Amino acid sequence: MALLELRRVTMRFGGLTSVSDLDLDVDPGQVVALIGPNGAGKTTAFNVVTGVYAPTEGSIRFAGREIAGRRPHEISRLGVARTFQNIRLFRGLTAAENVRVALAAAKRSGLFDVLRPGSWRRQETTLCAEAVGLLERLGLSHVADTAAGSLPYGDQRLLEIARALATRPRLLLLDEPAAGMNPSEKQDLGALVARLRAEFGLAIVLIEHDVRFVMDLAERVSVLDHGEKIAEGPPEAVRRDPAVIEAYLGAPDAGGAPA
Amino acid sequence: MSSKRVAAFALVAIVLLALDAWLPSWLNPYYATIVTRIGIAVVAAVSLQLVNGFTGQFSIGHAGFMAVGAYTSAAFSVYVGAGWLESLLGLLPAPLARSLFYPLVLASGGLAAAVAGFVVGIPALRLRGDYLAIATLGFAEVIRIAILNVDAVGGARGFSIHAAEHPAADLRFEGFGAVYAVVVVTIVVVARLVYSSGGLSFRAVREDEVAATSIGIATTRIKVEAFVVASFFAGVAGALFAHSEGYVHTNSFAFLRSFEIVVFVVLGGLGSITGAVLAAAVLTAAPELLRGLGEWRMVLYSLLLIGTMLLRPQGLLGNREIDLGWLRKRFG
Amino acid sequence: MAEDLLQQLVNGVAWGGIYALIALGYTMVYGVLKLINFAHGEVYMVGAMTGYYAARSFGLAGAPSLLGLVATLAASMAVCALLAAIIERVAYRPLRSAPRLAPLITAIGVSLLLQNLGQLVFGADPKFFPPLLESRNVFEVGKLSVSNVQLAVLGTAILLMAALQWIVMRTRFGRAMRAVSFDAQAAALMGVPVDRVILGTFVLGAVLAAAAGVLVGLTNPKIDPLMGVLPGLKAFVAAVLGGIGNIPGAMVGGLLLGVIETFVSGYLSSTYRDAIAFVLLIAILLYKPTGLFGTTQTEKV
Ligand SMILES: Nc1ncnc2c1ncn2[C@@H]1O[C@H](COP(=O)(O)OP(=O)(O)OP(=O)(O)O)[C@@H](O)[C@H]1O
Ligand SMILES: [Mg+2]
Repeated sequence: MALLELRRVTMRFGGLTSVSDLDLDVDPGQVVALIGPNGAGKTTAFNVVTGVYAPTEGSIRFAGREIAGRRPHEISRLGVARTFQNIRLFRGLTAAENVRVALAAAKRSGLFDVLRPGSWRRQETTLCAEAVGLLERLGLSHVADTAAGSLPYGDQRLLEIARALATRPRLLLLDEPAAGMNPSEKQDLGALVARLRAEFGLAIVLIEHDVRFVMDLAERVSVLDHGEKIAEGPPEAVRRDPAVIEAYLGAPDAGGAPA
Repeated sequence: MSSKRVAAFALVAIVLLALDAWLPSWLNPYYATIVTRIGIAVVAAVSLQLVNGFTGQFSIGHAGFMAVGAYTSAAFSVYVGAGWLESLLGLLPAPLARSLFYPLVLASGGLAAAVAGFVVGIPALRLRGDYLAIATLGFAEVIRIAILNVDAVGGARGFSIHAAEHPAADLRFEGFGAVYAVVVVTIVVVARLVYSSGGLSFRAVREDEVAATSIGIATTRIKVEAFVVASFFAGVAGALFAHSEGYVHTNSFAFLRSFEIVVFVVLGGLGSITGAVLAAAVLTAAPELLRGLGEWRMVLYSLLLIGTMLLRPQGLLGNREIDLGWLRKRFG
Repeated sequence: MAEDLLQQLVNGVAWGGIYALIALGYTMVYGVLKLINFAHGEVYMVGAMTGYYAARSFGLAGAPSLLGLVATLAASMAVCALLAAIIERVAYRPLRSAPRLAPLITAIGVSLLLQNLGQLVFGADPKFFPPLLESRNVFEVGKLSVSNVQLAVLGTAILLMAALQWIVMRTRFGRAMRAVSFDAQAAALMGVPVDRVILGTFVLGAVLAAAAGVLVGLTNPKIDPLMGVLPGLKAFVAAVLGGIGNIPGAMVGGLLLGVIETFVSGYLSSTYRDAIAFVLLIAILLYKPTGLFGTTQTEKV
């Protein structure tokens, strides 16, 4: 059974249909790439899955449970984590705090845990240790105590991934994680995604403009255009699909051809 | 509880008791009143800091919750507590009886305000930014005017905290021991809430609500929690105020009082507990210290306020703390 | 009964016109700066005080005339315009790039300053505004009456609001103001002199508040340095009711508030009069979190 199942999902904003009749399956441990020109509805698809918007129509099942229209924090607690295209870190908190807050949220420690003397200190120690561990795995230990807002761009993207991982997800949605990175950073990111999948057994959906980048990474590529899925399959096949080439060439200023 | 913690508590208690016993004998009553008022202002400011500075919500109706606490505790004292206190006084030495009784009074004020905070917070916290601000202000005014129309607590005449049927029970509590005990508790609780991992959610909500929900934080719940805790302490502050004055009137809780508390919080630095303490202390003492200037004093006070804000737009301390390490080590 | 109702309505509309004039200043400033200008109520107070002194020095106290009213309005508007310009330059402009709450605190500071300076300069005791018009009923049917004062108040308010509407919709300045309200950064890039527009907005709001101060002197002659506090706050409530930042919203909100307040004090109890503004506010915000005419802005994720 698929971990994530979208069936005929449609999202309309007033008269604008951003996602139309979308079907999408993601199996446990699978890496899927979602590509498409600007405005194709990729981010909107993520927003609908994570509960930022309730879909106008359609069903979304995660691990067998219907989640369409559930609140974002509930969906997160079920095991769906994400990053944002326009990085949304807690800029005033340090890198370590960004991770710790997500760890604590996953543990659901409430007001009264914080005020109880004994359990609180124990928990504090564990959380700090876990945060250090996670930052280390993403190569961010050296900036643990730097305010997230003043980190270099690439580190911010990585920190967002670390924060998402801290919620212990089974599905990770990455919205253009490589945007703004130089080729060598991109390569590192690719390696990281592969490693995360192996180490955490995660299913990953990633949005990307550059088909080359997802070639070795994704088992499957789904292509959106004007809210509709126009192609789906192994990267090689999708890359040669005339409909896909047309979609990219038809909108020359929209992210370039899928080289 | 570790022995270190017990020692810390004992130390604080002893210091406060000593202050209570000795200060009145050498401090002139006028200054004593100022010291008490500073303590009350600090409690109000630090608790509002939780909502405005740390959770990023913008409430300008804190005085409304002080009013709830002041009036509830006063009514409790007069209609219920006086009898209890009288019986206690028959059993125990007066200082002991009174110090056992007073926490009940304060708790009644705090709990009532917390309930009010919950009732107001649930609908109001759906609003954002300035709409939330004006709604909290509106709620505070409605609360105040509602109290004004309750005859059992004196209505427009104000309410004297004095029970005619129990003449032996003096319901006025002027000592600063209790005030500063509450100050310590407020600071410790708020500091621990916001500087522990669990409490990071408050600041996460302030920084980015969308991102906060994406990691499983129930933002509305966090906001309501902050609001309820802050209201609780505002209520306790109101109770302290009522019982140190021995008389309450709704005029003490009009929106100017709410503004004053917001000023403490912003001038001290949003997101700084020690900043709020500092600003509350300075701005409460200032009008009194400027008394020599006669009628120009409030003019100077307002100029001071404008000038400070122009020179330090981020507040006196920004979002930093004085001596954070100390706070963390002791209570963290 | 019906006459009585109509009478209350007339009184309420006249009173609401005053709220609307003040509310416009809040809403326009909020539009361009996203600032709640808490000192605005005090500008209105200064308007009333200036009107008082102007009318007396023009020798109008014993000789009511329409011309006198116009002269008084003009004097009061000029003083308030200058005051608002000074406030903007000194207390708000230096904080343009500061955290959002900083100018709010200086606004509270300016408000306190004007209240206390007012008590020093004008004295804390109430003054009585000279009758600029000889009050008589121009319209009487049974118990229903409309006085020339009420007509003058309403007429002036309507005239000013029409003028404002014209300025905002038809002039270069108005266009610039709307552009800054919509997106200050983009407006600046397109060459709109944002600072001048903001200054102009403050002045425009102050002129309307000054008029409100004089008009209130006609209907409720007792004025004092703290008179701006509550009406200022309620006018702000009126602006929020209509949807803050929205000019027609402020007009409707002001009128609505005036009418409802009058009805409440007429039919219920005047002790609830001051609460009703806030009850109404809460009720409307809970139903429509951005006010009657406000638009919801969804954040792009
Ligand atoms: N909250 C919203 N309200 C109205 N329209 C929206 C909203 N969110 C997205 N849209 C519209 O939906 C369409 C799809 O946007 P979306 O951000 O999903 O595209 P995308 O595929 O992620 O593009 P990009 O590559 O530029 O990130 C766009 O036309 C966008 O303007
Ligand atoms: Mg996108």
